[in-house]
Amino acid sequence: MPGLLARLIRLLLLMGAGAAIACLFERGIFGIAFGIALGGCLWLVWDTLRLLRFLDWLRRLHEDPDTSPPRLPAMWRDLALRISRLLRQQTRLTRKSKNRLGNLQAGLQTAPDGIIILDRAARIEWCNQMACRHFGLNAQRDIAQSVTHLLRDPAFVAHLAARDFNHAVTLTAAASSSQLLSVRLCPYGQGRLLLISQDITLFEQAETRRRDFVANISHEIRTPLTVLAGFVETLQTLPLTEDERQEYLERMARQAGHMRRLVDDLLTLSHLEDSPPPGLETWTPVAALLSQIEADARALSALTTGENAPHRLSFPDADALSQAGEIAGAAAELFSALFNLVNNAIRYTPPGGEIDIHWTPLPDGGARFSVRDSGPGIAPEHIPRLTERFYRVDSARSRATGGTGLGLSIVKHVLRRHNATLTIDSDLGQGAYFAVTFLADKLRAVRTETQPSAESPS
Amino acid sequence: MSEKHLSSQFDSDLTAVSTKLMEMGGLIETQIQNAIQALTQFSVPLAEEVIQTEDRVDMMEVAIDHALTSIIARRQPAARDLRLLLSISKITTNLERAGDEANKIAKRVKSIVEGGEARMMPISDLRLASSMAITLIRRALDAFARLDLEAAVSILKEDDLIDQEFKGFTRKLITYMMEDPRTISDSLNLLFLAKAIERIGDHAKNIAEFIIYIVKGTDVRHSSLTHIESVIH
Repeated sequence: MPGLLARLIRLLLLMGAGAAIACLFERGIFGIAFGIALGGCLWLVWDTLRLLRFLDWLRRLHEDPDTSPPRLPAMWRDLALRISRLLRQQTRLTRKSKNRLGNLQAGLQTAPDGIIILDRAARIEWCNQMACRHFGLNAQRDIAQSVTHLLRDPAFVAHLAARDFNHAVTLTAAASSSQLLSVRLCPYGQGRLLLISQDITLFEQAETRRRDFVANISHEIRTPLTVLAGFVETLQTLPLTEDERQEYLERMARQAGHMRRLVDDLLTLSHLEDSPPPGLETWTPVAALLSQIEADARALSALTTGENAPHRLSFPDADALSQAGEIAGAAAELFSALFNLVNNAIRYTPPGGEIDIHWTPLPDGGARFSVRDSGPGIAPEHIPRLTERFYRVDSARSRATGGTGLGLSIVKHVLRRHNATLTIDSDLGQGAYFAVTFLADKLRAVRTETQPSAESPS
Repeated sequence: MSEKHLSSQFDSDLTAVSTKLMEMGGLIETQIQNAIQALTQFSVPLAEEVIQTEDRVDMMEVAIDHALTSIIARRQPAARDLRLLLSISKITTNLERAGDEANKIAKRVKSIVEGGEARMMPISDLRLASSMAITLIRRALDAFARLDLEAAVSILKEDDLIDQEFKGFTRKLITYMMEDPRTISDSLNLLFLAKAIERIGDHAKNIAEFIIYIVKGTDVRHSSLTHIESVIH
């Protein structure tokens, strides 16, 4: 221990010096003893001064861990070095765990689900941004807040109180009541909880749509089936004249036809959903497409109006159409979509009403097919839902006119496959306007040498 | 919620009663939401649910008052603690009244639907005011949990919007009734519904005033917004 030796030597030297000085004034044992004591005192004062410097350094070390130790004799320096080494080690360790915690928290931040860490008294210890968004929390301010003070939904409070960790509870988000969250509690550690919230709005919507679809389709099939079964029973049990039999069979055939149309439409829809969209291989002349629509529309109008005044139908004239060029896509699908719109207009417009059909080239190279009728119109609240399957503004009327409730759904699907958009504009008593806008890349100018004949069916 | 006390039992008593209040608040929020939903969808089952839950709200109110009495008797609190306890008592009353309004809405919805007059009424005009009322109650309870003065003041300001909405709606109903006296009974029903929604907003405002009282110690009831803002800053 060189430090200890130096220290002792220094003490002895000071004592000796004290004794020597004392001997100058008074020789003898008392003088020497006084000198030694004086030397010891001096040493104590000197050492205390060093201690003060050392303490001062320690204080500075708190503020800045890199402060170099002061110049001190061996033992003090040793102490200083040991302390600063220990401190550096601790700082490194803290920084490392802080980094690790930071990485962990950053990872939890990017999770797509809301995460809240709860302590033993169910107070919020930490939460990520998604949880803040889900429950309207403030990540800084709401720390140490009881979770039930901010997530007050009775369903959640009961769930937490029951400590039910096997099931999730469904809550609405703070920001909007239409956003649904599935909240789960996971216990860990000693009585601590992890709260995980997942946005299930889309899932729930899909689930509702599926449920509605199954309910609708059962209803749609059951209605004609009930009528059919009724007639069968009548035919089986009641003695009927030949005329009555004929009439009943006719009605049965009508119901069977309705069911077949329904199944056909459903198959068309499922085919449209499953098959890949048509490309740019097949081109159909617009004039041919529209002339077929015109022919079918006139026939249908004559059928529906019967004895009454016919619809006043107006179609674009053949000359204008011969300039319209060709359109890419599946001709049968396009015909069924566009004719569907005309069909609706004819079925909903009373006899004598006007129906205008236009084909308008657009400045950007695209084109618009539009149908305007003078029918009863559609209330604005129904318009966004018209293309939903089985959505009907007036179900009794739609079924009476032979609709399956799938027409506009099919139109929407076909148009989506052809990158076209459907615009609907209507109000009660204002008639209805349906427009289909095709993009420029689906259209091409007609080739001059091969004029498409207006009569060729697509 | 509050600073540490020498007695940790006192702390946990205060936390427990606050938690009870927030639980009641959560129930009232759901009541109001369900009542409004019953109104917009004319749903009798939902209205029934609101009417049946009313008993639970009443029981909670009694339980909170009981807990408050026992804390005050045993601890004899002063200053901020006393203000907190007094305010909890008054907030409970306000929440219970807001619950009553939800109950009134539910009962009226039920009688409208059972009377067969539903669908004819322009309920959508009430949509804005009702969503504002729901938001205000939620924000008032959030502000209480956080003892957040800024949020409390913004609630005071926004309640004025609901009041304006109510006044506008009343004027509209008056013109309907003048144009066609047959709409009078529908319009009166709507007026009562609108009044209930407007009262819910008022209760949220009262809760916000008690938050300012807890934190600042100044009773700001019946004073102007400018005065309240000068108290806070």
